[in-house]
Amino acid sequence: MNAGVKKRTVNAVMSLLALAAGLLVIFPLVYGVMGAFKSEAEFSAYPPTLLPRSFSYTKNFEAVWAMVPVLRFFLNSLIVAVLGTTVRLSFAVLAAYAFVFFEFKGKKALFIFILATMMLPADTMIVTNYQTVARLGLLDNYLGMAIVSFVGASQMFMLRQHFLSSPRSLRDAAQMDGCGDIRFLVSILLPVSRPLLVMLYVQGFVALWNTYLWPLLVTNHNDMRTIQVGITMLTTVEGTNYHQVLAGVAISLVPAFLLFLLLRKSITRGMVSDAEG
Amino acid sequence: MPSDAHAADLRRRKPIRQQLKPYLFLLPILTFAVGFVYYPFFKTFLYAFSQVNFKGEIVGFAGTDNFSYLFSRRDFKIALENTLRLMLINVPATVALTLGMALLVWKRRHLSAVNETLFSVPIAVSMASAGLVFKVLLNPTVGYFNYALGLNIGWYTDKNTAMYGILMLTVWMGLGFNFLLFLSALRSIPSGILEAATLDGAGPLSRFFRVQLPLIVPTLFYVACTNMVQAMMTSGPVIILTQGTSSLRATTTLIYMMYSSGYSSANYGLAACVSLVTFFLTLTFTVLGFWLEGKRGSYQ
Amino acid sequence: MMKKLLCLAMALLLAVCMTGCVSAEETVKIIFWHSMSEEAGVLIEGYIRDFNATVGRDKGIEVELVYQGQYAESVNKMNNMLSGKSYDTLPDVMQLDATGKVNYYASGVAYTADDAAAEDAAFLADDLLPAALGNWNFAGVQLGWPFATSTTLLYYNKTLLDSVGAAAPRTFRDIIALAAALPKTTADGRELTPYAAVPNTPTLANWLGQMGSYVVNFRNGSEASATELDCIENGALEAFLTAWKELYRAGALKNVSGSTDSFVTGQLALMTGSSSNVTAVLNRVDGAFELGVGYYPKVDDDASFGATVSGSCLVMFDHGSAERRAAARELVRYLTGAAVQADFAVGTGYIPSNQAAVEEEVYQQLIARYPQYGVALEQLAVTPADMRSVTVGPAADFYYTIQNCISDMLDDDMSPQETAGIMADELGGLLYQYAQANP
Repeated sequence: MNAGVKKRTVNAVMSLLALAAGLLVIFPLVYGVMGAFKSEAEFSAYPPTLLPRSFSYTKNFEAVWAMVPVLRFFLNSLIVAVLGTTVRLSFAVLAAYAFVFFEFKGKKALFIFILATMMLPADTMIVTNYQTVARLGLLDNYLGMAIVSFVGASQMFMLRQHFLSSPRSLRDAAQMDGCGDIRFLVSILLPVSRPLLVMLYVQGFVALWNTYLWPLLVTNHNDMRTIQVGITMLTTVEGTNYHQVLAGVAISLVPAFLLFLLLRKSITRGMVSDAEG
Repeated sequence: MPSDAHAADLRRRKPIRQQLKPYLFLLPILTFAVGFVYYPFFKTFLYAFSQVNFKGEIVGFAGTDNFSYLFSRRDFKIALENTLRLMLINVPATVALTLGMALLVWKRRHLSAVNETLFSVPIAVSMASAGLVFKVLLNPTVGYFNYALGLNIGWYTDKNTAMYGILMLTVWMGLGFNFLLFLSALRSIPSGILEAATLDGAGPLSRFFRVQLPLIVPTLFYVACTNMVQAMMTSGPVIILTQGTSSLRATTTLIYMMYSSGYSSANYGLAACVSLVTFFLTLTFTVLGFWLEGKRGSYQ
Repeated sequence: MMKKLLCLAMALLLAVCMTGCVSAEETVKIIFWHSMSEEAGVLIEGYIRDFNATVGRDKGIEVELVYQGQYAESVNKMNNMLSGKSYDTLPDVMQLDATGKVNYYASGVAYTADDAAAEDAAFLADDLLPAALGNWNFAGVQLGWPFATSTTLLYYNKTLLDSVGAAAPRTFRDIIALAAALPKTTADGRELTPYAAVPNTPTLANWLGQMGSYVVNFRNGSEASATELDCIENGALEAFLTAWKELYRAGALKNVSGSTDSFVTGQLALMTGSSSNVTAVLNRVDGAFELGVGYYPKVDDDASFGATVSGSCLVMFDHGSAERRAAARELVRYLTGAAVQADFAVGTGYIPSNQAAVEEEVYQQLIARYPQYGVALEQLAVTPADMRSVTVGPAADFYYTIQNCISDMLDDDMSPQETAGIMADELGGLLYQYAQANP
């Protein structure tokens, strides 16, 4: 067997193996979407099935659509995640910039002061943060939902490391050209830091998108609930309305996938760009 | 450092406005750090040592009573064990699976793009949606999982397996993003290094351990650390999957206990104690992690 | 990239803010939190639509209906708001279950049914079912009016029981006998379990109540905030635990909760659950077997039949506005009226909270057609008058502690006496802690 054939065989095997693993990863989702087309009685029948009896059974979707504003939930989640991640990253960029490019009194102390917030996870302080947000009148409000995630110490730390490694001559040259700090930051430094920024943005977005407890606490109206909270509210005490719950899940997946497919290229390209270059 | 001298030189010539500039850059993050991290932390601390009524008002000094009551509660010990177990299984499982997935596809082949997309799909799915699907999929009577594999496991209804059911969800949730991190790390290794190793006669296994692994250790460390903190903060999956069932205790985490003893049973002093314990544990693990990372660095 | 995302965020924010701005109107707007899902949720939405279109339009009231999750979540919400002093975010009317009674009573912003009756002489509870009404009386104050009234019943697979010539079990001993008679597997080879349950606060209140005992003092915490267990010295808890363990050891009981799935798929012969699920269970069984509904089983022959009233009531909050209070009263009266109560009972299986509703034709027709729906009301009639559901401050911890301790007794083979001791310690500790911080 020559090397070429062997290599091709290895490649084919690896590809198929990866495909099998990939299908396994998405299997739960496929199952969930199939379940959305099943009737209540189909869920009580034995043996359980993978495929629904008929894909034209859309009663569940109609029921869920009438019960809850799934798209509104989705939009709320999107706004909160974008707002929280954008503000957090902006604050972190500003702070990292100050720590790298300025000299000032109390620099070390302030750096440690901010970095130490990394050790104080927001989840452990929801009770007291709730009181603050309630006092500020920010219940049922996008700002109130996002506000506890504005401090990104680890993001600031990673950006600082990255800025430190960027050539100092870059800034000196910019300053010679009369380029101010903000302009230098926005038009020179950030573009060269794109992979890191994309990575931090995606990470922050995913984390905020998935928060459950905090939005549950601070939203009291159907219109303001995030997808996490809204979809979960389809479950009942007995927890047996699987057909409707899965229809809700299926509806919630559609915009999420559209967004994912839309951004997939820029996410992977952004995060994996070092290799392409 | 020359740059420091340069900066100092610049400062001397700059007006007050310029001197204030760094503080202006720091103002936003500092404001929120004080308002939404330090202040609530201080208040949590205060609560932990106070008698707090159901309206969140401090009605008296409790000394260490809240702590001694907490430590005497069996469900606290169980919540602590559960949280640690969740973390200790979740982190290595996530690292192993996502690294494995990245190794499968990092080299561009046929179907690469498809496989990458499939592997990163969990990013697009919210925890609640995935949790609800898992709840049905793993249901012992109506779900497909047991039937397809010929198993007879109660998953979320059986207290011996409920934690593994929760773990399946938390690990699945982490697949997408961590896979992308490893993929990015593996692809950023210059191909020259790998080719040189191949020319030296290194097989795929030794290439991985001698070339790739050492170069992706920072990513590995990052993935492990963030997943550790996330695992310590687990509460959503418990609320969605086992709250209200008799297997709740087998899956109760510290943060869930904080939530339920605080809001469901209106004992905010106790909830604050649970917060502090969780916080100190997470801190310890993080410091330990950094220490290990530092130690590795010094050996290289 | 950052810029684009920022723009996107701002645009979205703006768009939503603008749609959120609604112009003020003359009508009084009140908020109603409910916890009903599925069929019951659809029904309640219909009632509010009707209310807004009829009574509401005449009197200038507009009700905003908010589903606030299941009872436990809704009560958590109320607790959140009390802890954050964000009283203005509390609703005008709320569907409250037993776990929220104590904190509602002490909230300082409660507008109880007694307060309402004092303000408005026409706010009379004459028509309401006395047993249901009594359940929402705490420390001598009528907190609210019953809306979704249910009780706990026995559901059984009649087809299966008939096949072994067994009748619906009346006592634990009957369940053991039934277990011996039942095959070990279903016709298609799946495991068959006679009965599955893990006792919690309401079920324990039922079984101890049947033996004439309360779970906690002050008549199950209905007269004052409970401070200790009331079932230790009289031996009732130990007697129950002994019987429960016997059931388990005879192989008649599986130590898990959440048994509806197994029941409707034919893998469980008996289950105990809320009478409000009759419709849901009938739908899910879908004719696969005949559904039997019977009285809640008794520990032994000496005990009496019966189960406490469960479900929820409608409570009101005071927002300092006479108009809003009047509107809230109007809504409560509407939802507890005979027409709504009869329709709700027919659609779900809940007991009509209004006595006049029982006489309504739709309800009588239903009982004639499906006798399963009538059992709850019959059982309520035979239930001892002094049986009460349990009201405690730390409701959630109390609930799970009971579950866990009883579950442990079976799994770790502990003696009933030892288990009763542990329960006295742990449950007593919860009550003590709550009493300390909330004098």
